[in-house]
Amino acid sequence: MKTASAPIEQVGRLLLEIGAQLMSSGADTARIRKTSVRIARALGCQAELLVTPRAIVLTVSDKDGKRCHSELQRTAPQVINFRVVSAISRMSWRAQDEQWSLAEVQDAVASFDELPRYSRLQVLCAVGLAGTAFCRLLGGGAVEMGVAFVATVVGLFVRQTLVKLRHNDYLCIFAAAVSSGMIAGLAIKLNLGERSHYALATCVLYLVPGVPLINSASDFIDGNHLNGVLRGVHGLIISFAIAAGLLLSLLVFRSD
Amino acid sequence: MDWLVLLEKAFWCGCASFGFAILFNVPPRALLVIGVLGSLAGGSRTVVVQCTQSITLGALVGAAGVGLTSIWAAHAKHAPPLVFAIPAVIPLVPGAYAYKTMLGMLRLAGELEALQANRLLVETVHNGIVTCLGLTALALGVSAPMLLTRSDTAKTIKLPPVFDLAAHRARRKPMQPPRGS
Repeated sequence: MKTASAPIEQVGRLLLEIGAQLMSSGADTARIRKTSVRIARALGCQAELLVTPRAIVLTVSDKDGKRCHSELQRTAPQVINFRVVSAISRMSWRAQDEQWSLAEVQDAVASFDELPRYSRLQVLCAVGLAGTAFCRLLGGGAVEMGVAFVATVVGLFVRQTLVKLRHNDYLCIFAAAVSSGMIAGLAIKLNLGERSHYALATCVLYLVPGVPLINSASDFIDGNHLNGVLRGVHGLIISFAIAAGLLLSLLVFRSD
Repeated sequence: MDWLVLLEKAFWCGCASFGFAILFNVPPRALLVIGVLGSLAGGSRTVVVQCTQSITLGALVGAAGVGLTSIWAAHAKHAPPLVFAIPAVIPLVPGAYAYKTMLGMLRLAGELEALQANRLLVETVHNGIVTCLGLTALALGVSAPMLLTRSDTAKTIKLPPVFDLAAHRARRKPMQPPRGS
């Protein structure tokens, strides 16, 4: 049983870290705010947040509102990781229900860095399967599906490599779209399959900014219009990068 | 409608959802549910699109189905609903329309005959509107349960007793005495 509220500076740092992790893992604004407020309440404090995609500002005050502490933290670029979102959500409920202390929450947050990821091979195969599936849904046959698989896997491989080298996000997506488009374009040039342009249209769908765009719309619905606009613009730039990459490969192969 | 075609579409939608689930690094316990949700979404979208010829309506119905089922999944598998809902609705994203919109816009930047430009402009605007409406429909459908129940969190949404697995399990076990009374 807790008697006094935890030191607000430490609570503030902890909440900022949780908020920043949620933001870069792909949570929407309302979730970030609700989770932070829930954890703050479990630790006997109150929190108010200003959330933007690249920075979070937060003010923590103790129960009687006599002392308060404000801090800002920049968030890392977005790498979608729903395992972190899920773990933070579970942790926040347990912290509330089991009356965790500050140290317990800190330990839990530190353990999120060690959450496993799927191996690179697993991701490549699964996303390749998704590309094949998209091609089949549009009406492609076996040959087109094979082309879509290869193009998707190669493009994703290029993107993962460039992301590891810390290149600009939009540039990574552009390069991935070019690589995928080149392979699908080559298949058209070589007359592989009767409807090989289906493979071209679907080999870049793994780059579609689904999370930014859906989060943008849910931010609008929740009334976080500013974040909705920012995420929407982010998604739009990604779409342009994809289109520009595809257009470049179309120009190379002149197969319009 | 041909049932085999419908089943096949549902199957491939499930595969696409599964692929995106791995890409988004969801917890392994959620993978199977996401695959099933994705095929349900794809199947219902296909039926609605065949009946109404409206892609937007199809996306809305599919996403609303996913939104509702994701609440159940969240209770059963202990993860936030969006972890299930987002990968499951990704195959419903009007990707082909977004692709055509972008290509159309880039083509409009080039030198064109007046007549050709007119047709291209109308097509591009049409594709753009379908894309935007489709995305809005997806987001609305996914958040429909939250909006309709006026709830802040899926945790407090009461499921009909038939679907509430946690309650079933609790009923099967003898009642535990409350902790630390």
